[in-house]
Amino acid sequence: MNRSIRWLLAGLAFVLFVAPAVAQQAADPAAIVQKFGGKQSYDDTEAVISELARTGDANVARALRALRDGDLYWRESDEAVFIGKRKGDDYEIFDPMTGEAAGTVPRGEMQKVRVKNSIRNAVTTALGSLTLGADSAAQRMRAAETLFSEADPEMIEPLDAAIASEEDAGVKARMEEARASAVLVSDRPAEEKAAAAKILANRADRESLTMLTRFAGATDDPVAKQAAEAAIVAIQNNIAFWNQMQNVWYGLSLGSVLLLAAIGLAITFGVMGVINMAHGEMVMIGAYTTYVVQEFIRTNAPGLFEYSLFIALPLAFLVAGAVGLVMERGLIRFLYGRPLETLLATFGVSLILQQAVRTIFGPSNREVGNPDFMSGAFDLGLMSVNWNRLWIIVFALVVFAALLAVLNKTPLGLQMRAVTQNRKMAAAMGIRTPWVDAMTFALGSGIAGIAGVALSQIDNVSPNLGQGYIIDSFMVVVFGGVGNLWGTLVGAMTLGIVNKFLEPFAGAVLGKIVVLVLIILFIQKRPRGLFAQKGRFVEA
Amino acid sequence: MSDSIIQKVADEFRALSEPQGNARPPAGPAPAAAEPVGNGAVHGEPFVSPHPYATVLHDRRLAAEAQGLARRDTLLYLNGVTKSFDGFKAINNLSLVIQKGEMRAIIGPNGAGKTTMMDIITGKTRPDKGEVFFAGDVDLTHHDEAAIASMGIGRKFQKPTVFESHTVEDNIRLSLAGPRSVLGALVHRKDRAERDRIETILETTRLTARRKTYAANLSHGQKQWLEIGMLLAQDPELLLVDEPVAGMTDAETEETARLLREIAQHHSVVVVEHDMHFVRALGVKVTCLHEGSVLSEGTLDKVSNDPKVIEVYLGR
Amino acid sequence: MLLARFLGPRVWILVAVILAAAILVPLANLALPPDHALHVPSYLVPLWGKYVCYALLALSLDLVWGYVGILSLGHGAFFALGGYAMGMYLMRQIGSRGVYGNPVLPDFMVFLNWKELPWYWLGFDQFWFACLMVVLVPGLLAFVFGFFAFRSRVTGVYLSIITQAMTYALLLAFFRNDMGFGGNNGLTDFKDILGFPIQAASTRAGLFAASCIALAIAVLLVGWITRSKLGKLMIAVRDAESRTRFIGWRPQYVKLFAFTVSGIMAGIAGALYVPQVGIINPGEFAPVNSIEVVVWAAVGGRGTLIGPVIGALLVNYGKTVFTAAAPEFWLFMLGGLFVFVTLVLPRGIVGTIDHGWDALRSIRRAKDAEKDESGGDAQAVPGPAE
Repeated sequence: MNRSIRWLLAGLAFVLFVAPAVAQQAADPAAIVQKFGGKQSYDDTEAVISELARTGDANVARALRALRDGDLYWRESDEAVFIGKRKGDDYEIFDPMTGEAAGTVPRGEMQKVRVKNSIRNAVTTALGSLTLGADSAAQRMRAAETLFSEADPEMIEPLDAAIASEEDAGVKARMEEARASAVLVSDRPAEEKAAAAKILANRADRESLTMLTRFAGATDDPVAKQAAEAAIVAIQNNIAFWNQMQNVWYGLSLGSVLLLAAIGLAITFGVMGVINMAHGEMVMIGAYTTYVVQEFIRTNAPGLFEYSLFIALPLAFLVAGAVGLVMERGLIRFLYGRPLETLLATFGVSLILQQAVRTIFGPSNREVGNPDFMSGAFDLGLMSVNWNRLWIIVFALVVFAALLAVLNKTPLGLQMRAVTQNRKMAAAMGIRTPWVDAMTFALGSGIAGIAGVALSQIDNVSPNLGQGYIIDSFMVVVFGGVGNLWGTLVGAMTLGIVNKFLEPFAGAVLGKIVVLVLIILFIQKRPRGLFAQKGRFVEA
Repeated sequence: MSDSIIQKVADEFRALSEPQGNARPPAGPAPAAAEPVGNGAVHGEPFVSPHPYATVLHDRRLAAEAQGLARRDTLLYLNGVTKSFDGFKAINNLSLVIQKGEMRAIIGPNGAGKTTMMDIITGKTRPDKGEVFFAGDVDLTHHDEAAIASMGIGRKFQKPTVFESHTVEDNIRLSLAGPRSVLGALVHRKDRAERDRIETILETTRLTARRKTYAANLSHGQKQWLEIGMLLAQDPELLLVDEPVAGMTDAETEETARLLREIAQHHSVVVVEHDMHFVRALGVKVTCLHEGSVLSEGTLDKVSNDPKVIEVYLGR
Repeated sequence: MLLARFLGPRVWILVAVILAAAILVPLANLALPPDHALHVPSYLVPLWGKYVCYALLALSLDLVWGYVGILSLGHGAFFALGGYAMGMYLMRQIGSRGVYGNPVLPDFMVFLNWKELPWYWLGFDQFWFACLMVVLVPGLLAFVFGFFAFRSRVTGVYLSIITQAMTYALLLAFFRNDMGFGGNNGLTDFKDILGFPIQAASTRAGLFAASCIALAIAVLLVGWITRSKLGKLMIAVRDAESRTRFIGWRPQYVKLFAFTVSGIMAGIAGALYVPQVGIINPGEFAPVNSIEVVVWAAVGGRGTLIGPVIGALLVNYGKTVFTAAAPEFWLFMLGGLFVFVTLVLPRGIVGTIDHGWDALRSIRRAKDAEKDESGGDAQAVPGPAE
């Protein structure tokens, strides 16, 4: 150790006094690593090691470890440095910084960077100081994470030192986990390994599970083995829990999509008793509105791209709402009291709308971009949460709340509820039911339009977009019942979650079939859905 | 129905637990013959086995008989029936008895529960609690509309509902009493008896001239009559008639009253009606419903002079 | 003739025309030389055969929609199931002539590395068994589905949606390779049927004739059902379902009967369709197909016997013409047809003609009646109400 410090100091002196000339280029660790190339003395090698240590860049750890393990080579032709693995008469070579494969080279062309014990010690120290001693807590955290995955017994001592001086509790815990992972593969006593297993049990992710499983298979010591197995069970439970959470999350995500698609359908069906088969096409129109808005922004005001969705929302509402209004005034009102024929007529409209969009925009998918806040994902526990899915859930709930407010707080809502419950009585009370019908239809279509804006973020924007959702939306309405928005909410979320829970067992397609069969069985018990309208005026 | 089963089981138990060599006649149907059970009359104390199950059955039987006695001769027996919709009690502890051969008029203001009562009797609605028995021992709450209709309860709706795309004759043909199997209907052949029966009903309801007319083309009054004709075709024991003269001219009303009186000679009839002249023309016992229970019962004069009724109709 | 009065002359004319086509079209195709003016080219025979199968399908839908008021948006499912049953027979007939030459396993199973035939493929090498399944499988599905749906009194648009969900579920299922029905590609490359090469002109003529005969029988069958007391009951259920309950009928069984018979008819149509077009794939289950059937029946006139037949022939002929001339406009046409029929021609072509005829007759009768008594039939028969 002493000697290594001495060498380090010598290296420092070398750097301080000899190397200023190369200091400019020393900023790039990759370039420093290349200095291992060519014939050089041990002193030279140590100097490069210390130079690398001073960069504070954790990426050089790979090259250093390779050096320590005698796997670092340089090519005779150009003195370029690689990590080499022997393979028959050849070496497979890898980039020393990134670890990317760089091909195969005959043995004769490669020269090993020579090492001796003092060099190995220098490397170990450098590795520890370089990563664990960094100034920024985030960097130390990253170093601990790297060390955890590497599980290198040589690193136990540097880790001990780092743990002793670490002040940040989070980083310290990570370091202890890294130490535990190293202990498991070291030749330390069994008790220490058992303790390490406990620490890993607390970490409880898939990586520690793999480590523990491997360890439990390899160890002979009963105490350590028992501790490891207990830890494995604990981790498996934890992972199972998070898997369930992930399923619930996916389910909520699907449910929110269903809610968006179905909620407009639910109010038109509730108020008018009319199934709008073109509802899916309203969703599609909303999605295409988003596309047009983004195209316009791309060509005219690229800076507004981040806000494109907020611009598209009101426009989609207006466009789809207007189409809905035209449909109601021009078609549906003539079919009042003939729900089955309305269904057919609106299906005809859906064909026309689809073909119209296909003619205008072409049959292929259109590219709708995600603004920054809609892209990417973050980890929550062991599950991964996509930002766009999260925002769509939030958005669906906001739309739901807004619609609830419209229904409960506005005059239109009051009239809509009145017509839902008893159309004739409402008409007798002076409510202009045709006007309510038109407004309801426009509102339902407009909501489908803004659902299209949301769906454009997670689905392909094509003329068939709406068809993919229409049957599921119907199922939500059938399941949830009409006349009560809460039924739609509960129905959508239940179907979403049930779907996602069935998927692992039955596969996506069979899961969907099972859900359909379950709904058919469900309406045996509740023909009018979960939140059926009740009362004396409901025809049985 | 249920007590007759209990009866049978009790008999069997008694027969099985009869000590051998007893002076009483051997087991089998004989005890039942010696002691007619169907009518519920109790000739002295019957032997009851000390077996606990037998005593329980015996008690149950006595209880059933006591109740059965009360409703044995009735045609329709409602006891403590309650039905609420979303907290609104449409029927509240309603008790009503219609005797065999009786004709009864039911009056009451809007929302008194008249239509809901009919819904419960015909199986369209299930009561929350209470008993509904037909012909003494058929529990109507356990049967669906079709079964109840086949048992002999016919119903005419407030709003005339006839099969508009069928002729008058076909409307009646579909209603004629007879088997109700689907495949039977497929291979059904018209015969002389059926034709005669339809003829009679057409004459009774004065629709002979219209027999080939589509029901949709009948006048309102004719539709009402056609519906009554369809009721007759079912040959029910009990007819429930909901507002038969609503929207009729005075002449038609009078005719209808005459028709109903004629029908009542052979059937039991319950008429729900608002029209007091019509009720008076019927000249039968009247029940006044209010807020889902019986307010007053008796002759029309008695009911219409009842202060409670006056208060309900005219307000305080 | 008693029978003529029984169904009316028009139906007999239709049956006669269909049967004449069954004889004349094959004759004109096979016996007349190609340059003869009345020669029917070989490519037209399977095309017309396809139309006839569609007519049968439309008629089956008419039985439930026109007469009982059940708007099924899932009749394509029964059609496709019958088609698959026939396709499985045709598949087994290929034998070792397939690409992989396996004497038992169809090509797609060899491709999927299956070692033996799934149990549900057993027996399909026998024609009689396949025919039995053509009837049984759609019939059973219709029966079970109908039993649950009608028992719980699901009606109107709810029922329509559920039937659509049914065919959608089957669509998803049949797309799966591990279902054992050829997945995405379905069943195709058929070689022969009952020993006759399936591509031969004579076989196609025979299939055309068989389709016509099936359609003629179906017209008579539906005529018999709808003119019986049960048929009157069906219409009663369509117009006032709850009323039938109060006179002692159980409408759920009436509906179940019609739905099952209709499902079987659709299955037979599918079974005749598959050998003529040479392929059956999951696309036949697509909900859109089922809804198209509805428009055929609507155009011709539901609730009549000849309406759906005429409607199916007309619309599909139009489809052939327009998709050839301007494919992108066909969907506009079809969509417009839906709107037009529901808005302007709710009774369909035949229904509208009938209605006009009846109106005339009842006006005349009303004049006669006025002589006997006051008041008359101001209006004619109502169309099928919802």
